[in-house]
Amino acid sequence: MKHVIALAGLALLTACADTATVKGASDPQAGFAFVADGANRSTGAKAAWAQTAADVAANEARAKALVAGKTIGPDTAVQVALMNNRGLQAAYADLGLSATDLWETALGPRPSLELSLSGIGEASLARSLEATVTGAILDLATLKPRTRIAEMHFRQAQLEALAETLALAAETRMAWIDAVAAFEASSLIARAQGTAEAASELAAELGRTGAMNRADQAREHVFTAELAAERAEARLEAQLAKEKLTRLMGLYGASTDFYVPDRLPSLPGRRPGRSNAEALALQHRVDLAIGKLELEAIAQEYRLTSQTRRIEGAEVTAGAEVERSDDNETEVARVLQASLEIPLYDTTKLTSRRGALEYSRAAHELAQHAVNARSEARSAHAEVTGTYNIARHWRDEVLPLRREIDREALKSYNGMLTSTFELIEDARDGLEAQLSTAEARADYWRAEANLKTVIWGPPAGGDE
Amino acid sequence: MNRRQLLAGGAGAVLASAAAAETRFRDLPEAASTDSPYTQVPPRPGSGPDYNPVVTLNGWSLPWRMNGNVKEFHLVAEPVERIMADGMMARLWGYNGQSTGPTIEAVEGERVRIYVTNRLPEHTSVHWHGLILPSGMDGVGGLSHPAIPPGKTFVYEFDLIKSGTFMYHPHADEMVQMAMGMMGLFIVHPRDPAFMPVDRDFAFLLASYDIDPGTYIPRVAEMTDFNLWTWNSRIFPDIDPLVVNKGDRVRVRCGNLTMTNHPIHMHGYDFEVTCTDGGWVPKSARWPEVSIDIPVGAMRAYEFDAIHEGDWAIHCHKSHHTMNAMGHDLPTFIGTDKTRLTQMIRRQQPGYMPMGTAGMADMGEMSMELPDNTVPMMTGWGPFGPLEMGGMFSVVKVREGIAPDDYSDPGWYQNPPGTQAWEWTGELPEEVRQSSAATVITPKSHLNHDH
Repeated sequence: MKHVIALAGLALLTACADTATVKGASDPQAGFAFVADGANRSTGAKAAWAQTAADVAANEARAKALVAGKTIGPDTAVQVALMNNRGLQAAYADLGLSATDLWETALGPRPSLELSLSGIGEASLARSLEATVTGAILDLATLKPRTRIAEMHFRQAQLEALAETLALAAETRMAWIDAVAAFEASSLIARAQGTAEAASELAAELGRTGAMNRADQAREHVFTAELAAERAEARLEAQLAKEKLTRLMGLYGASTDFYVPDRLPSLPGRRPGRSNAEALALQHRVDLAIGKLELEAIAQEYRLTSQTRRIEGAEVTAGAEVERSDDNETEVARVLQASLEIPLYDTTKLTSRRGALEYSRAAHELAQHAVNARSEARSAHAEVTGTYNIARHWRDEVLPLRREIDREALKSYNGMLTSTFELIEDARDGLEAQLSTAEARADYWRAEANLKTVIWGPPAGGDE
Repeated sequence: MNRRQLLAGGAGAVLASAAAAETRFRDLPEAASTDSPYTQVPPRPGSGPDYNPVVTLNGWSLPWRMNGNVKEFHLVAEPVERIMADGMMARLWGYNGQSTGPTIEAVEGERVRIYVTNRLPEHTSVHWHGLILPSGMDGVGGLSHPAIPPGKTFVYEFDLIKSGTFMYHPHADEMVQMAMGMMGLFIVHPRDPAFMPVDRDFAFLLASYDIDPGTYIPRVAEMTDFNLWTWNSRIFPDIDPLVVNKGDRVRVRCGNLTMTNHPIHMHGYDFEVTCTDGGWVPKSARWPEVSIDIPVGAMRAYEFDAIHEGDWAIHCHKSHHTMNAMGHDLPTFIGTDKTRLTQMIRRQQPGYMPMGTAGMADMGEMSMELPDNTVPMMTGWGPFGPLEMGGMFSVVKVREGIAPDDYSDPGWYQNPPGTQAWEWTGELPEEVRQSSAATVITPKSHLNHDH
């Protein structure tokens, strides 16, 4: 009779699945829409999840079409990385695995009937079957909370996949900036080397006519030689920077035949205004969302039902701030002050000491993350405005003065007041100023990219 | 108003005097002033003893008044702007609107009273270089008398007991004030107009400045490396010519207030030094010259009869003194092939022109953009091409039929046919070259050849 009951129980169990959840979790692209949407909102690029060899081939073909033989901008680089970086696809596979976990949990217990023909007649067989059934029934009893926990893990996995996507996008954008900046620096150094070569050429000629001694000739030549080493270094740096970009874009073979521009874009005409970076970061940062989910999961796991406050989204207060900058521009900017509330629980009602401690650890970690996120957002914003001002100073103050020096140097040379060498030296100093200007501009674009990262995802090297 | 003395002639002369000055200096002679950089030929004196006035090259003579039998002058020491050449203005210190200051002319035996008003930011004094006078009138600040404070007027008064060629300059913060251009000529004419008379009497002072191209004020701390060599604070091509009627007896008086000597060389003539700041040179002590070295702090006057018509260069024979501002650290580019270099530099400096590969004459021919407020180191065009000169250079122009009072530029001399170098277009004989550096003694047999 016992056996009959057990078998009947088994039949019952199989009918208890959470069909809606099963349906969602069993979708081949389960949860990816959230990732794709988040990626698109923050980067403008489309993420793609390649699950079959055909998908991979299609993505590779699209990537190749986007880059092959072309000079690519940062958006193209990010788009290609999001569809073609295989490391990212591995992260998406993790999301898939999490979906299967949810699917499995939501299906309910799947009792197995282990029958061993060799053990017929022995008492252990019946007991074993009974234990299995009992276990299945217990599982069934806890199906709902376990599904909720599995759902939370699944949501966490979605966020993690999004975080990976955003991190890759950020790293790719930065790699593009680095590569372009390196090529720009390399070409400016090449021009500076051109002036050094001119001085070297002149020294050699003066040596030939007998107007310059060997030591002075060597002084001109050694400078050229040293600059040549510097130029080779810059060229190598540019190559390596481009290679890193290639790697992030997941390119190999014939697809690596792409180019980046020789020069970073000019500064935007308007000075970047005061931003609500801090509030946006608290709203959007994936690592904070993951932390909140983790808190929720711990609470679920330890049946922490007696929460006194629910997790609130970022609480946002609007205001305005007037800032007077050093060049007398007055800026009135909307400021959104944001706060992140961390739920508190009445710890006396916790079911276990362990649960209280784990919850407390996660809550403290989240609080610290929020503090960091705000600071990072403020830093990133300060960096954007600061690097903008510096780059603009180089462009608007230093370069015009250098151009004037060049003009006057030529006039002095015309009047035989200064020699060709001095003319060349001034030209070289002018190129060095251009190099510094280009570097300052690159710093601005890096800061600008970094601000985006800080708002949407953890900054590079983040620990989530 | 009736006391105002007007300068006759001298196109650009301005007699500027603030109305306030007339009341403040009720008892002083007018402080005449001019801002013209051109030669202003003074008229013969209308009162007092007669003399034949000097012509101050690119300068003028200070008006005076007779007060009883004392000849009164009024010098104002003040900041001035001097046009050293077209396109170059210097902010100097000078007297009565000019540097060098106006020439003071008087006659041997006269008593002069010279009011000196100091409008400089620091004290000054005037030393009457070469004159014999009481110790207290010698103008050495602190030694002869207290220096004249800013805003104050001092009076110098003494008898002119000898005639000749003299100067005046400060003897207070002398290095700075002379580097800033404070100096002037002081000519004492002989009482007897028949003593060594000349038809034309030119005068100028040598002064050197260090004004970097693109700047306006001299570097007063410079001791040796001056870059502008001037006659009366003018530089070639804008030093007026010495215009002479053929047959004139001509005297050129020249004083040196630079830090180095200047061998002044005049083409076309032999001449004799007839006067120093020590006095007239007796005939028996003169010897013929074509150059005279004018030592630092000294004056020389030489004379010649203008019998050779033509355009004759007159210049300092230190060749870098016939250059305007130039760099002294330039490598010698002669023989340097700059073809490749030019392409390389033009990538950065599209306006680059290669120069100096065949010498520096291209500087005189090209007119390229220079720094503000400067003139090319060598410049000036003559009838046959660039003169390639600067600094202490001018031309003595001797012509037939120039009126006694006419000092205007008669233009370039037309050489009579057959009297000008011409190009040989015939065959050239084979060149004889000696490649050995050893002394070669001409063989005696060669000397005896054909004898």
